[in-house]
Amino acid sequence: MRRFVVFLAAVAIAACSGGSTQQASSTPAAGQRLRFAVIPKSLDIPVFNYAKIGADRKARELGNVDILWNAPTNADQLKQKEILESYITQRVDGIAISALNGDFLTDTINRAMAAGIPVVTWDSDAPKSNRIAFYGVDDLASGRIMGEQAIKLLNGKGKVAIITSVGATNLQRRLDGVKEALAKAPGIEIVETFDIKEDVVRTAEIMSTGTRRYPDLGAWLSVGGWPVFTRNATASVDPSKTKVISFDTIQPALDLLREGKVTVLLGQKYFGWGSEPVQILYDYKHGKKPTTPIIDSGVDVVTKDNVDEYEAQFKKMASGG
Amino acid sequence: MKRLWQIRELSTVVILVIEVIFFTWWLWPEAGRTHPFLNADNALLILKYSSIYAIAAIGAAIVIISGGIDLAPGAVMALTGVIGADLYVAHGWSLAGSMMAAIAVGLASGVVSAVLIVAARLPPFIATLGMMGIARGAAFIITEGQYFDVSSRLLGGWRPFGLPADWVAPVVMVVLALLFQVLMTAFQWGRSVFSVGGNETAALFSGIAVNRVKLSVYAIAGLTAGISGVVLVLVQGQGKADLANGYELDIIASAVVGGASLSGGRGSVIGAVLGTLIFGVLRNALPQIPGATFYDRLIVGVVVIVIVVMDQLLLKKRG
Repeated sequence: MRRFVVFLAAVAIAACSGGSTQQASSTPAAGQRLRFAVIPKSLDIPVFNYAKIGADRKARELGNVDILWNAPTNADQLKQKEILESYITQRVDGIAISALNGDFLTDTINRAMAAGIPVVTWDSDAPKSNRIAFYGVDDLASGRIMGEQAIKLLNGKGKVAIITSVGATNLQRRLDGVKEALAKAPGIEIVETFDIKEDVVRTAEIMSTGTRRYPDLGAWLSVGGWPVFTRNATASVDPSKTKVISFDTIQPALDLLREGKVTVLLGQKYFGWGSEPVQILYDYKHGKKPTTPIIDSGVDVVTKDNVDEYEAQFKKMASGG
Repeated sequence: MKRLWQIRELSTVVILVIEVIFFTWWLWPEAGRTHPFLNADNALLILKYSSIYAIAAIGAAIVIISGGIDLAPGAVMALTGVIGADLYVAHGWSLAGSMMAAIAVGLASGVVSAVLIVAARLPPFIATLGMMGIARGAAFIITEGQYFDVSSRLLGGWRPFGLPADWVAPVVMVVLALLFQVLMTAFQWGRSVFSVGGNETAALFSGIAVNRVKLSVYAIAGLTAGISGVVLVLVQGQGKADLANGYELDIIASAVVGGASLSGGRGSVIGAVLGTLIFGVLRNALPQIPGATFYDRLIVGVVVIVIVVMDQLLLKKRG
């Protein structure tokens, strides 16, 4: 028993001393490798893999950076918080996180900052926290762009239906943006806002029943990429009558665009999600603070006209170039 | 001739009919337009999406009748779907070959659960909970968060056995439901499953090979979950590790709504399939009512309770 207590004490002392030395050195010593944790919302969202490619590329460029990539396997807020907390106790050199629920993580992010670990949010922000910066799309603005595209396509009049998944903050803000933009066109009527309840399988059924219920539907607007990740979801839609405007540009989305099944896609800066926060953290560790806390990445509006150019650029980035 | 209320599936059928009448009335269209709910295309759509749950629910009902529980079907569906899609899309296998391999993996997962339950004496809850984690985890390892786009390789004109593609899932569901209903009611094996679920000790003393029965029911549950996984991939057009998340609870609820008792010895395969249709109709019709899409989780919960209470009352009357 006594030996066990001595052992525990030794471990505790070692842990404290290890921690304090790290905390004291806010700027890394020459030759010291930096360990940055990059946490997406979950491992099951395909677009985040491009963020990983971006983060790894940036780490290679910078030379002495290691990326720790980890997230819950599905969108579980509590598990994400646990992962964030574990990186604080493991005293990584910086954290870049796409928050599933910004408010829920605010305290934990503040704790990381207080412990001397800089935090950058990306893709989905925790605006009330002390994080040093947010890199990502302004969801409200991107929602507005989606709404404006719909108005343009429909010449300001017609019925639209919206697809969302209730719960995620960023989807809600996109939805708000869409509705805000559509409100400016009195000729446009939102017949329904459908909730797929985080189950992508429901998308195709909803599009099929909705298309039948509203035969004069002018456009489907989706604030997530669910309709364009499989060909089956848009199979029931007649593109000569109903346009599809969706977020996300991963295949088969671009092929659907070329074939005319889908009219407009809004692409986010998937690679930038990984590379930019790593750069911000690296600069911060070397005494350079970001000039503005909110760094808007913008969105790519992809249509039939620029799809080839977009895809060529995308492929170059995906190959790590 | 059985009295009407002695038929097990009665309350399930009644609810299903009430549901259909209600939505037919509520969604009645303006003159001159086709009914958005009551039409042949929509019926096929409901059957297509319900079959994803229903095929797995056949196995789940048999497990529940035997007095056990299977928590793995959702995860096994995702795993078999991912394996089938991986072989088909990334490894250039034929569609039939890759889907057969996927179903075999489903069967194997059921056999592993069965061995853990029979040989290692693990409670079914724990054994299948473990299998749920293993299957979901394996699916993630294979996809690494990506997905396999089956839909782009299955472009137009795919007519298995000369049937339109949308018919495949419902036909498979009906064939399997009838097959297992007959196996459960007209064969010695089926009666053994009911005996084991009703009173395992009595079944043992009456000479039933209890372990062999248990092995068979979990293997069947794995097999049907595997077939469901293949159907899921064909319907969704994607093999993705997070598909069918939480479906195990819908599947168990369908079996219970269809008359299965979680304490074993009671239930039916057809009832479980009808149970999935009750949920299928709700999933299909509620989003067609403006604003109702946010209420359907609550409504589904209420429906489960109402049906089970109704069933209990009828059971008292029977008894």
